[in-house]
Amino acid sequence: MNPFILETILDGDAFVSTLLPMLHPHTILALSGPLGAGKTTCVQALARALGISRIPTSPTFSLVRTYPVKHHPSIKKLIHVDAYRIEYEEDIRVLGLEELLLEEGTLLCLEWPENVAKWLEQQSNVVRIQIALASDGRRILVQS
Amino acid sequence: MKKYLHFLGIETSCDETAVAVLAVEPEDGLGTENKVQVLKSLVSSQIPIHIKYGGVVPEVAARSHVPETVSLITQTLANHPIDTMDAIVVTRGPGLATALNVGLEAARVLAAFSKKPLIGVNHLEGHVASAWLNAENRARWEFPVLVLLVSGGHTELVLMRDFCRYRIVGRTRDDAAGEAFDKSAKLMGMEYPGGPKIAELAQHGSPSAFSFPRPMLRDGSFDMSFSGLKTAVRQCWESLPHRPMFNEKKPDQLFCDLAASLQAAIIEVLVEKTMTAAKKYRVKGVALVGGVSANTALRETLQTRLQKDLPSTSFLPSDRAYVTDNAAMIAAAGYWRFQKGDVTDWSRIDVRPEWNLSV
Repeated sequence: MNPFILETILDGDAFVSTLLPMLHPHTILALSGPLGAGKTTCVQALARALGISRIPTSPTFSLVRTYPVKHHPSIKKLIHVDAYRIEYEEDIRVLGLEELLLEEGTLLCLEWPENVAKWLEQQSNVVRIQIALASDGRRILVQS
Repeated sequence: MKKYLHFLGIETSCDETAVAVLAVEPEDGLGTENKVQVLKSLVSSQIPIHIKYGGVVPEVAARSHVPETVSLITQTLANHPIDTMDAIVVTRGPGLATALNVGLEAARVLAAFSKKPLIGVNHLEGHVASAWLNAENRARWEFPVLVLLVSGGHTELVLMRDFCRYRIVGRTRDDAAGEAFDKSAKLMGMEYPGGPKIAELAQHGSPSAFSFPRPMLRDGSFDMSFSGLKTAVRQCWESLPHRPMFNEKKPDQLFCDLAASLQAAIIEVLVEKTMTAAKKYRVKGVALVGGVSANTALRETLQTRLQKDLPSTSFLPSDRAYVTDNAAMIAAAGYWRFQKGDVTDWSRIDVRPEWNLSV
């Protein structure tokens, strides 16, 4: 799909309804954008749309969080990963993401994909989101 | 002479690898008279690498816990043989699965070979128990206790009606308080994680120089939100006519004022929520634990407010030595579990990366 730009103040719902049809099991949703852009907020909106009862909090410290999905025909769990603190790219192996991606119905949301760029290049089914801050809100670029 | 019980604690839930030995004289089970001694407490990041590995640095990724765990356990058991232990205590969660597994497998093997009881504890229960390592706190420890747990990864208000009985009554809905410190510092051009730097700069700044939001302060819940502070700090920073580079040696007064204002906002939210919860649940003690509890202004503000508004409620802060991740607190939580008979068979224990504290 060609990239498209979605202009929005990040209230989430409109954005998520555009995004949701692009997401399938074993998809990686890579979210880029500066600190405070709203990457985690995006994942929270997505989690709500998927019927996740425990709303995701920032995974910056814990690195990986898993949330069971109730209201989706094929996505069974959302894995929320933050590479912000990944200093050396090879450290991503410690997170065991390959195994998690192989599990049934896994959707992986990855913040700060720039920090694991080489790893991400080797993955298939990547949807990229770029959030830019603007004076009137946020501009979101989606590319898959 | 009464016999001391010895606990070997192992912690590998996230970044740190830690091993400790705790000795407890259980005069009256879980009463206030326990004599507790930390005989050893090793935390990997605090040990120079050549001491850990005897000069040979293993070729592993920086976050691998395996060589660290082996090294720390070997050093510990050299002085405190496994035969002298009464139980082995390990963190089961919450945390990173691959990291937790390293500690758990080490504990499993030790328990299987030594035939000692194995106790799995929650990392957050360990933080709670860190306040109990302090003798003055133990002497004043009366339930219910409200625990404010603040660190880089957690911001939780935990109501404790007894040992091993917890209810989370409030928590952050997005970023942890420590994360708010660290990321705001980054937005002002400081190295990540800059939380401790903010606290240092704040001593020389004016807390009313800038006005940062106090989200959810009076919403009636005990939940908190710190994510919006990043946006507020960014907007504030970008609106400044002059934005100096951050100079570690000679920081501009602007950074001190920003730091003091930011710190005031975070502390006000934490303290107000804690005070309101302490009143509602009529607690007899308020414990302050986790890495952010090293922050002097937070300690002093909470203590002052307690003395003023709830003078009969004890203030129970962790010693600074045990606020960040360590294994002495894990061993202490293990002692609580041991007294309740909560022991797990080594062949059945597993990790719980998403483990909640509430039971």
